[in-house]
Amino acid sequence: MSADELTPSEAARWAVRAGLPLPADRHDAVAATANHIHSVVAVLRELDFGDTPPAFAYRA
Amino acid sequence: MQPFELSLTAAADAIRARQLSPVELVDSVLDRTEKVEPHLQAYVSVTAERARREAREAADAAAAGRLRSPLHGIPMGLKDLIDVAGAPTSASSRVRADHRAEADSTVAARLSAAGAVLLGKTHTHEFAYGLTTPQTNNAWNRDRIAGGSSGGSAVAVAAGAATFGLGTDTGGSTRVPAALNGVVGLKPTYGLVPRTGVTSLSWSLDHVGPITRTVEDAALVLSVLAGHDPRDPASLVAPRADYRPGAGADLAGLRVGVPRNYYFDHVDAEVEAAVRHAIDQLQALGAQLVEVEIPMTRYIQATQWGLMVPEATAYHEQTLRTVPELYQTDVRILLEAGQLMPAGDYLHAQRSRTLMRQAWDRLLDEVDVIAAPTVPATAVAADEEVITWPDGTVESASDAYVRLSAPANITGVPSLSVPVGLDAAGLPVGMQLLGRPLGESVLLRVGHAYEQTQPARELAPVA
Repeated sequence: MSADELTPSEAARWAVRAGLPLPADRHDAVAATANHIHSVVAVLRELDFGDTPPAFAYRA
Repeated sequence: MQPFELSLTAAADAIRARQLSPVELVDSVLDRTEKVEPHLQAYVSVTAERARREAREAADAAAAGRLRSPLHGIPMGLKDLIDVAGAPTSASSRVRADHRAEADSTVAARLSAAGAVLLGKTHTHEFAYGLTTPQTNNAWNRDRIAGGSSGGSAVAVAAGAATFGLGTDTGGSTRVPAALNGVVGLKPTYGLVPRTGVTSLSWSLDHVGPITRTVEDAALVLSVLAGHDPRDPASLVAPRADYRPGAGADLAGLRVGVPRNYYFDHVDAEVEAAVRHAIDQLQALGAQLVEVEIPMTRYIQATQWGLMVPEATAYHEQTLRTVPELYQTDVRILLEAGQLMPAGDYLHAQRSRTLMRQAWDRLLDEVDVIAAPTVPATAVAADEEVITWPDGTVESASDAYVRLSAPANITGVPSLSVPVGLDAAGLPVGMQLLGRPLGESVLLRVGHAYEQTQPARELAPVA
């Protein structure tokens, strides 16, 4: 397990902080899925965004 | 030829020429639906009585010379995320068991005003959050997945159980099932078709688009759907247009980008061969092929997930807390895990999207369209959850189906999926044409030109 992965109990605590208390039988599965999503999305931290704003508005 | 076999364009021509009545057409499609539906399960509900009533009204108007549009009297299936006043919008979910829409969505209202006849609501992967639509079977082989999330609409159109349909597309959900069932699917430019009254998966990635038998059919439907709606904050103020492509198939002067990276990586050999053959057809029509480099490919999946996952969780915030047990297992876990994504990661995805749009703008200065596979593999078996590529790489089937579709959702550029043949197992292959923002007319012209080089496609051979 790498340092940035959540354990099942950490995932449960994060969920509570976000207002989503999870039953105990969900902790393992939610942690595993959250860790997988994190592993995909964390690659964006490599990018040098500089002054790049978020793309909230779309101009065709 | 039976009326249910007609393309939208052919049916509209026959209605206009008074060779076919909307009643005959709708009855024929309803009979066909009754025959094939036990094998396919494309529909959540078929509203035959309503359809026959609308058909009679359309026939009376046609007899009086009052045709509202080329869609007058044409039967359609709407993905069951799209509100129709008085009907439930089930999202193919138990969460919506008691739902009833109070008003038409903008697209349903525009189709109704254009004279189209609603046959029923088609299945979606639950809340559009998946790529298979497990309730529905592929129109060409019922042991294969329909694709998703607009699987019901694509299967119905492919099998003759609807003359056209609507899908939604957040990571490929219109184009993927269109490709896997051998029909045409269009994801328009972000904001061109209003989403008011359409259940959201991810606001910043969601699109609504037509699923049809031919490219010309898609153009006719888009002409009705497109146009500003102030109630959708993403709706573009773009002039209404007639998207119907001209008769000519000459592509002289058109620059077609052929990706040297990404779009042909980890693609089934038969899919690649069919798409490259279709690209050769574009060249034979006069197009100039230009090799192009797809930018920022390392960040496509990360950007797609970074946007979609937290937005989907936000949409379902309330019901995830009150009735979590009513969601299917695969959707519930994604919604729950999405709650744990930091806002900083979401903002990274939004900023990455800015960079990706800028890079794609530059790319689309070099070429007029980009041609590529829609999906890297034909429809997998219903129990086949992963694809193993020849180099040993293992990829989930869902990830594979989203992979080539996602760039158009992230950047907002239009993308049209056109059938380009069958593989050795008899399963359809789709080619994707991507263009500049609001470049739908170019995509439709190219797709229509390609179709004119091919024999007319037949319906899926449903037993």
